[in-house]
Amino acid sequence: MVNFTVEEVRQLMNKPTNVRNMSVIAHVDHGKSTLTDSLLSKAGIISAAKAGDARATDTRADEQERGITIKSTAISLYGNLTDPEDIKDIVGQKTDGGDFLINLIDSPGHVDFSSEVTAALRVTDGALVVVDTIEGVCVQTETVLRQALGERIKPVVIINKVDRALLELQVEKEDLYQSFSRTIESVNVIISTYFDKSLGDVQVYPYKGTVAFGSGLHGWAFTVRQFAVRYAKKFGVDRNKMMERLWGDNYFNPHTKKWTTKGTHEGKTLERAFNQFILDPIFRIFAAVMNFKKDEIPTLLEKLNIKLSADDKEKEGKQLLKVVMRTFLPAADALLEMLILHLPSPVTAQKYRAETLYEGPPDDEACIGIRDCDPKAPLMLYVSKMVPTSDKGRFYAFGRVFAGTVKSGLKVRIQGPNYTPGKKDDLFIKAIQRTVLMMGGKVDPIDDVPAGNILGLVGIDQFLLKSGTLTTSETAHNLKVMKFSVSPVVQRSVEVKNAQDLPKLVEGLKRLSKSDPCVLTSISESGEHIVAGAGELHLEICLKDLEEDHAGVPLRISDPVVSYRETVSAKSRMTALSKSPNKHNRIYMIAEPLDEEVSKDIESGKIGPRDDFKARARVLADDHGWDVTDARKIWCFGPDTNGTNLLVDQTKAVQYLQEIKDSVVSGFQWATREGPIAEEPMRSIRFNIMDVTLHADSIHRGTGQVMPTTRRVLYAATLLAEPGLLEPVFLVEIQVPESAMGGVYGVLTRRRGHVFNEEQRPGTPLFTIKAYLPVMESFGFNADLRSHTSGQAFPQSVFDHWQILPGGSPIDSTSKVGQVVQEMRKRKGLKIEVPGYENYYDKL
Amino acid sequence: MLYLIGLGLGDETDITVKGLEIVRRASRVYLESYTAILLVDVAVLEKYYGREVVVADREMVESASDDILNDAQNVDVAFLVVGDPFGATTHTDLVLRARSLSIPIKTIPNASIMSAIGSTGLQLYNFGQTISMVFFTDSWKPASFYDRVRENRNIGLHTLVLLDIKVKEQSVENIMRGRKIFEPPRYMTVGQCCSQMLEIEEIKKAEGEGGAYDEESLAVGAARVGGVSEKFVSGTLKQLCEADEALGGPLHSLVLLGRKTHELESDYVRAFAVDTEVWDRIWKRDYEGKS
Repeated sequence: MVNFTVEEVRQLMNKPTNVRNMSVIAHVDHGKSTLTDSLLSKAGIISAAKAGDARATDTRADEQERGITIKSTAISLYGNLTDPEDIKDIVGQKTDGGDFLINLIDSPGHVDFSSEVTAALRVTDGALVVVDTIEGVCVQTETVLRQALGERIKPVVIINKVDRALLELQVEKEDLYQSFSRTIESVNVIISTYFDKSLGDVQVYPYKGTVAFGSGLHGWAFTVRQFAVRYAKKFGVDRNKMMERLWGDNYFNPHTKKWTTKGTHEGKTLERAFNQFILDPIFRIFAAVMNFKKDEIPTLLEKLNIKLSADDKEKEGKQLLKVVMRTFLPAADALLEMLILHLPSPVTAQKYRAETLYEGPPDDEACIGIRDCDPKAPLMLYVSKMVPTSDKGRFYAFGRVFAGTVKSGLKVRIQGPNYTPGKKDDLFIKAIQRTVLMMGGKVDPIDDVPAGNILGLVGIDQFLLKSGTLTTSETAHNLKVMKFSVSPVVQRSVEVKNAQDLPKLVEGLKRLSKSDPCVLTSISESGEHIVAGAGELHLEICLKDLEEDHAGVPLRISDPVVSYRETVSAKSRMTALSKSPNKHNRIYMIAEPLDEEVSKDIESGKIGPRDDFKARARVLADDHGWDVTDARKIWCFGPDTNGTNLLVDQTKAVQYLQEIKDSVVSGFQWATREGPIAEEPMRSIRFNIMDVTLHADSIHRGTGQVMPTTRRVLYAATLLAEPGLLEPVFLVEIQVPESAMGGVYGVLTRRRGHVFNEEQRPGTPLFTIKAYLPVMESFGFNADLRSHTSGQAFPQSVFDHWQILPGGSPIDSTSKVGQVVQEMRKRKGLKIEVPGYENYYDKL
Repeated sequence: MLYLIGLGLGDETDITVKGLEIVRRASRVYLESYTAILLVDVAVLEKYYGREVVVADREMVESASDDILNDAQNVDVAFLVVGDPFGATTHTDLVLRARSLSIPIKTIPNASIMSAIGSTGLQLYNFGQTISMVFFTDSWKPASFYDRVRENRNIGLHTLVLLDIKVKEQSVENIMRGRKIFEPPRYMTVGQCCSQMLEIEEIKKAEGEGGAYDEESLAVGAARVGGVSEKFVSGTLKQLCEADEALGGPLHSLVLLGRKTHELESDYVRAFAVDTEVWDRIWKRDYEGKS
């Protein structure tokens, strides 16, 4: 590791052109953390004061036990390019000297923790995508890559675990090339699907140096560029030309001593340049070392200019292989070079990210500050997550400075996700107590941090729930709220074993909610405390943290239950009408289903409450066939002001309607959060206000009159529109050998699973099965699958979509769905029967 | 029989003799307590009437009217309303529900703020549409009253402004949670009312639709009209913003003068002026002799 003082790190921060903020993303078990470790051992920065301490990445005990990453961790790395020729290869952005500061965030690969990835992506500009040579692109690879591109983050790729292909599968060179080529192709397919004009073409190509190959476990990796540099000297050609020749259909014809793109010469096949010049030495080392050809090894080493220490020379087999490969092609060198050369600096990235990061107009001082990554502009800082401190119950706010400079004692405006400019909701003005550098699990105080860098803040955790914007500009809007790809669809209720511990549980739930970007905690009507998470594993980890850490008291935990959504499948069969308690105000409403595409666009953030209403109306009209006039009259989204239910004003010339809008909107938020069927949130319903009659005097149409009336009329309209219950469905991807496939199908069928894709991974006996599985049926699925396939199947489940729960109407208590509803109502302490629409409908 | 009985504006002794007789013999007596309040406590009423009185809050009148009307076909039920039953607050809805249950109804009138405001010296003949002023919030500032004031002022009439009272109001969150937790009672003062009116005038002016009144428009603030400690203060809207101390405790009302003011009216109201010089100056400039 490199010994640096905080001052030296601070110096590096001053040159944002030489900073790289990046995350490492991948499918679970593709080897991110191992790869990160190899980078860390070479280039990780520890401050001089802490040198000699234990490892800088202070991981959680359960992370090691399970062998997976749960929380993302930030580490700073130091990289330098000594060769001025190398610096010249940094194309399209400025550079200042050969020293680089790389802020790396290692994120979890398990789908249940995707929200951690989202939080990591927000504060970085580039991503190292790790893909397993054998497994290829998997479901989570695609998910995180898609998220990265959505945030305008530039990817580079490393194909990892190449050693396994060589040792376990014993593939030939050409097969390996083909496998690499296929994997890169599938990555590029995803990248081109989510093509974004402002980001430009970010597909990855080995001959451009944006793909590396290697083994994190053995600590070696290479890029085509590295070999090109070596051979450029030997062949006396330009190395950029050499790079292009070392990939694809390029061959060196030994007979003519010329380069060609034809694979044959006088009937004989030529060896592909990549195989001949890059794979060949590697294969030779593997063959020599693993077949214990002791006599060949020294000559080979000499030829490749690899020098080993006396100790290392004594080693044999895999141990020797590791040492040789690591000396020959050190992973850290290849990766650092790739990251520095190809990932954007904050200065470069913020130019095109500013407009997607910022909610306000593109020409105000805040947005210009972000665009220019200006350390002298007003502060714009995004807090993406909270990291627990050693001081129990307190958190570091982890985030990135996008503009301005943050320092201890600076008075800032802390704007939560619900802040709207000009109002005082969700706004605090407080001083920052301390600013710190986050180095793995450790922190170091630092005086100030300029734009483009990542840091931790002390003393603002009590003013922000999970994330938010800090600024010094009074007019600044928020930095965009993060959209998570997973939703908390699995929930369990918790209660304390000893009644006197209740306050501790309540406090613990607050802390838990802060520490995880995705977890939801709530108290139900019946007084139950509910924790909701993305999946069984996520929930399990959260509850463990809650019991052992945040609350620290023994808990009783219920079986997992699914969270449902209430929806409608037809238009209300008549206009619903409700009168206010004083009978002077009447609201007429109709409910109808919202197109699934619109709901999806709302969920992905393509259509949102904060869009310009004209632009939004255009999108709704052009892409979804809405009437433009209707589309312009969307009053609000709900629940939580950004949900997938819409309230549309279709009234004609109602006087003073604007004066009751606020009360109607509150009633709408309330009703959509707790629907009429079982107080589950509503989803995908469009409500049309058909008409309103109001008392002439505002005193008789206050919130107390209008809000409950709105709720009643929304309930009536919903119940009149063939209500249905939506259940969450997982997309399950299962890797399984052919022999165990029968077991997989058996288990899936019994659990209402539905296989929609089955594919063999070329060159392996492994099959990839993709299926939809209702979350309700997923409890215990992993264990079931293991026992029916002798542990050979590896499933990954990620929330995919909502589907109507089959089996009848939720208001028919004799149907299957009715039973589910009654069960749910009982659990929530509600009246067992779903109230009929008459309860909410007033006759004229 | 359902009796709607007006209680007048002051204290327990304002009830009419006819009303009192009915109260004494009725089976059940309810007191509507949320649209206006008497200046005395319920206990005082009960003592004076010599019987029990059930306090009916908004919840009960609007949502549980069946209890009130129960068996009113056969027994006498008295529903007491501060002021006049069909004055500022109308209980037409209760009457409609009683009608549909074939319950006979009788009304005992009494003084209402709508008539008692005459004690300011302003002639009731010269009043236009009555408006009410609600408590503004950060996001809710209903301005529809403004158009009504403009209509009144255009034809030179006075405007009676009734001020919001919030007794037993739930916060939005408590409504949602279904919790019967009520906010502490609040009564709007003349000062609050005037500053809210001027706030709306500012907004309207910015939108190019102002001019219905301004800081220098004359008005009369009234407190506890019909009670023993009745009090009036007159002046410009700006002056009345600061008049709460002079007026004292609730309930307050306000009259915005129309330009068609009779000299007698002026002489009467002038006596309440915060500053008679200012009053005379503006009176001469904007009101005297205008029709």
